[in-house]
Amino acid sequence: MSASPGSGLPAEGKRPHVIYLAIGFPPAAKSSAYRMRETANQFINVGWDVTVVNVAQESWERDSGVDLTLLDQVDPRVKIVELPLAREDLETDIRLYDEARALNPNGWVAKLRRRQMKPFPEPNFGEWRTDLEQAVLRIHEEHPADLLLASCVPYVNLAAAWKLWEEKRVPYAVDFRDGWSIDVIEGVEAFGPDSEEGRWERKILDEALSLWVVNDPIADHYRRRYPDFADRVHVVRNGYDADSSPGRAHAPDPESGLVFGYLGTVNFTPQHLETVLNAWKAAREKEPLLANARFEVRGHIGNGAGREANRHTEILKQAEADGVHFGGPAAKAEVASIYAGWDAMVLILIGGRYVTSGKVYEYMATGLPIVSAHVVEHDASNVLSGHPLWTGAVGIDEEGLTESFVRAAHMAVETSDEVHAEAMAHADQFTREALMTVAVKNLVEEFTAKYAAQGARGVDPGGTPAAAPETGDVAPVAEKSIVAGGPTP
Amino acid sequence: MTEVLFVAAAKPQFGVLADSVRKFNALGARVHLAATFHLESSAEEVATLELAGLHQLPRSVAHRSQALRRKARTSPLGMRVWMQSKPDSWLRDRARRADVIVALDPGAVYTVWRLAQYNRSAAAMFGLAPGLKAVEGLTSQGGSVQRRSVIPPLDAVARDVRRSVDGLPAAVMRTATARPVMRSTVGARLWRTAVTAPGVPTRVRAATSRYVAEGMQWAGRTSGAAIALADAASKIPDLGLKAQLLDEGVMKEITKGLSPRHLDRAVAAQLAFADSEFAAGRIEKAAGALDRALFLDFHRVLHIDQLSSPLAKDAEGFVAPLYRSRAMQALSRPQGRKTPYKKAPTDRPLRLLVTTSANDNFLHHILDHFGDHPGVELRFLDLAASKHLKRIAWAGRRMLEDRLSGGTSDYQEEVERLFRPYLDWADTVFLDWSVGPAGMLTTIDPGDTRIVVRLHSYEAFTRWPHMTDFSRIDDLVFVAPHVKDLAVSLVPQLRGDQAPRFHIVDNAMDLSGFARPKPAEARFNLGLIGISQVAKDPKWAVDVLERVRRHDERYRLILVGGDMDPKTSRATREYRREFEKELAPLEESGAVVRLGPTDDVPSKLQEIGTIISSSVREGCHVGLMEGAASAAVPVARDWPFYAGKPNSARTLYPEGWVVGSPEEAAKRILEATATEDAWRNAGKLAAEHALSVWDWPVVQKHFEKLFLEDR
Repeated sequence: MSASPGSGLPAEGKRPHVIYLAIGFPPAAKSSAYRMRETANQFINVGWDVTVVNVAQESWERDSGVDLTLLDQVDPRVKIVELPLAREDLETDIRLYDEARALNPNGWVAKLRRRQMKPFPEPNFGEWRTDLEQAVLRIHEEHPADLLLASCVPYVNLAAAWKLWEEKRVPYAVDFRDGWSIDVIEGVEAFGPDSEEGRWERKILDEALSLWVVNDPIADHYRRRYPDFADRVHVVRNGYDADSSPGRAHAPDPESGLVFGYLGTVNFTPQHLETVLNAWKAAREKEPLLANARFEVRGHIGNGAGREANRHTEILKQAEADGVHFGGPAAKAEVASIYAGWDAMVLILIGGRYVTSGKVYEYMATGLPIVSAHVVEHDASNVLSGHPLWTGAVGIDEEGLTESFVRAAHMAVETSDEVHAEAMAHADQFTREALMTVAVKNLVEEFTAKYAAQGARGVDPGGTPAAAPETGDVAPVAEKSIVAGGPTP
Repeated sequence: MTEVLFVAAAKPQFGVLADSVRKFNALGARVHLAATFHLESSAEEVATLELAGLHQLPRSVAHRSQALRRKARTSPLGMRVWMQSKPDSWLRDRARRADVIVALDPGAVYTVWRLAQYNRSAAAMFGLAPGLKAVEGLTSQGGSVQRRSVIPPLDAVARDVRRSVDGLPAAVMRTATARPVMRSTVGARLWRTAVTAPGVPTRVRAATSRYVAEGMQWAGRTSGAAIALADAASKIPDLGLKAQLLDEGVMKEITKGLSPRHLDRAVAAQLAFADSEFAAGRIEKAAGALDRALFLDFHRVLHIDQLSSPLAKDAEGFVAPLYRSRAMQALSRPQGRKTPYKKAPTDRPLRLLVTTSANDNFLHHILDHFGDHPGVELRFLDLAASKHLKRIAWAGRRMLEDRLSGGTSDYQEEVERLFRPYLDWADTVFLDWSVGPAGMLTTIDPGDTRIVVRLHSYEAFTRWPHMTDFSRIDDLVFVAPHVKDLAVSLVPQLRGDQAPRFHIVDNAMDLSGFARPKPAEARFNLGLIGISQVAKDPKWAVDVLERVRRHDERYRLILVGGDMDPKTSRATREYRREFEKELAPLEESGAVVRLGPTDDVPSKLQEIGTIISSSVREGCHVGLMEGAASAAVPVARDWPFYAGKPNSARTLYPEGWVVGSPEEAAKRILEATATEDAWRNAGKLAAEHALSVWDWPVVQKHFEKLFLEDR
């Protein structure tokens, strides 16, 4: 037995081991990186060994970018295995193109996506299946795993989780974050139960130890869709990192101009952005407090050939005359100081009732007024409800947003320190550390209750201990680089 | 110093580009831009770029050989850009000296790919950020790449030679079918004979006929091109290939805005192919061929963009061949509903789902009224606002596949999944416009929900009613009797036992706001509201104007609404061109005034004394009705499409409003506006009629009855 019940502590001096499929783990500058980092750290805290599987840093450079400061807070005991996988569709080196791709880059990528769906039904990632399967088998051979946790996207991780279960009976849990069979943006089912994706999802969830999702509407979807599985569905909210919070609200200086800010990936439509900026312009014309105000946008825009060279960038550029400034991506380490220089937050979100986003928690923790630029029926509205400095959700409506900007400007200059403190306190319940501590503890308990009591490292379908991992030639995880954590065993 | 060459085929986002060039410069790079887009038209933006060099690449292949131009026409964009750029010495020189070559858009990628074959030291990147990263990488090596020989590598040259050899047969064919040859009657006839020569293998015959057709089209013989393809097709036994060649021939004419001479043959060939594939159980191919048959048969060039349509003469006869197809019969077999719909509840409000795909122009009053109705719980669903629903709502080919496969396709499953929740909620679904969404909706059994669909007029000229299972629709609402007649004559299901109940309900219009006082001068102003489609035939109104002006030059014509979009079709473009030509002197003299699009029709109507409907067909002409409500004298052309039929403009409007010719129209106008009193009286009568029959308080009762009476 590798874990003692309840504590997750190692029996007979051995620490239990979790393989964490976390493609998007630091240093990837993705919004999911924070959740992944905290999850890995929490496993370390409860006495587990953690091997994170991610893809190579160079792959992130042409995807959502890299933020090396994100690695600073990864527990050094977390071992990171980087696989030499990359999204082929994002390749920008023309020398690597064949003639067909050079002739018709977009058509070629469309065909590629169809091809990628064959090994696993997921565009862009389906072809990673074999590499991921082989990677988890190799890691398990080298350092037997007690549990695998797959964070999706990409969903192709599920194939690797299944492989390790099928061949080595290593139990697994899934962190779907936003859910697979629900299109959280449109709020409809993304695929039917009989589709290939549907069959995969059912198969995976049938055997999964636990499923995490980020909010109640998504959890309800899964409980409805798989009633037998309902008690294994858990809401693990995203929360915010305490160190991203500026600590106290910035003292506004209307003389030199209020500063509104948006920090996050620019993933909304150009129309959405235009509506917000039109409202901003109208509000500046209307409200004297905003006449000299600035609106700073920080974050990643576009990827591949379109990185920082798409329609959004141009719209932001055109809005410079209205005090709008795009400052590019922000390193995680800068976040708190950026927030400290702002007087109000602009929360631009896609989707609706199924979307929460991590941003909302971080924005709340600033204790600054929040202008909501998302549809009214949005899970962020639920989270913000009761926040004293929230202008309310008025939809993606130019006139409504104009009023919200005006209201936020007044809130910024007229609110007392006490109210700012109250606003910050509203976020206390959502620190990422607090949320993930509970989530990991619960998962370890579920694992212990179901498997560890049987003394298993590797469990057969009947629940009896499986044979110990095969000995013999163990394929080294040689071609992968270890970028953090201790030496490879 | 790092030498950077940007290649752009499309106008870039200039603000972003300017920022990026500054970043390149800051790294010590010299940036040169070569573009195939028109630099001069963006001179102002280009001037803000801090470039070291700028070069206009040839913008087309206009001055190159005809064979090359023909090849360019059938090549993908990337190849076209390269064909334009390849001979440019500035580009080749810059490319040879560049350290980094950057394609700014997908169209430029192939050119960069080819240039990179000649300069194998340079980095070749797609996108500004990757280009900048490549420059950053070079700064550590002193800013430039290790130069290799400036002579192009042998293998690149060899590949180029191979490419030209591979292209030889095409080039030969293109030269042999060049414009001068095809322009001559002898040459064209010779080639047409060649494509039907006996003993030619099928593949060669098909390929030859395509080159011949291409050549003919270049020589301006569009119909000759269609004939060559049709002639070749007649000698080809393979049903699929035969259908394809005929289809290509027909499309050559259609894209030129012409009514194709071999439409019936092309449709018949696609149907024959569909039937044979259907019989063999190859559903996907059968659905594909049937889809093409319906697409060709109901192409907008034939029915919408012209002043007439084959449906005007004999609608039933037009669709008869279609319905002789076995595949089509399978498609149109009524599936019926499993259970009758449940009567509207009496213990709670009726749950009414009003839905459409984007076009909600005629729903505003209905939504306002029932949104605030104690007996109704209303939901509105715009199918076009959800990418999932939009995708299934217009998926014609998938609908066909589903019907031909007996409802076993994954389309059915997808519609179930995405639309069933709405059906489960609603007691009644009211779908506006009987187009794609009606086909989608009737793919699945409606359960116990009542389905009401409205067909305006336009839909009858499309393929969609033929892809809709009307046995799953309970009530079909028309806006006028003549539209109902046309739809019934076209769609056999509407004549069968399982046809829905028919209703005629006028469009919802609030006419009360139109009653505004008119100045005396308005008496001489004729008005036409809406001129954006060929079917509105504004030239007819100009004819009328000219006739009345012969009697009195005070008459003017006021045109309200946006112009026809020439991009819609070639036929539209041509109509517009002729119309503009006719209009120019009249506008200059002030006889015609164009007001353009407006949100405020009532105030425009204040100036209009006579309202004209010049259309060749209409469902109900809203502009005319609004004009009548404003007390303008209505003069409606007896819409030729329906003229002489049991129901037409003459049965829709009161006697006296409808005229048979421009001459008659002029007579009526001169009489009705002879004196101010006569004019005001005629207008008053028209307004009384409009308000008593078409105004929303009246029409609203019909909708209440439609939705709520059935309790």
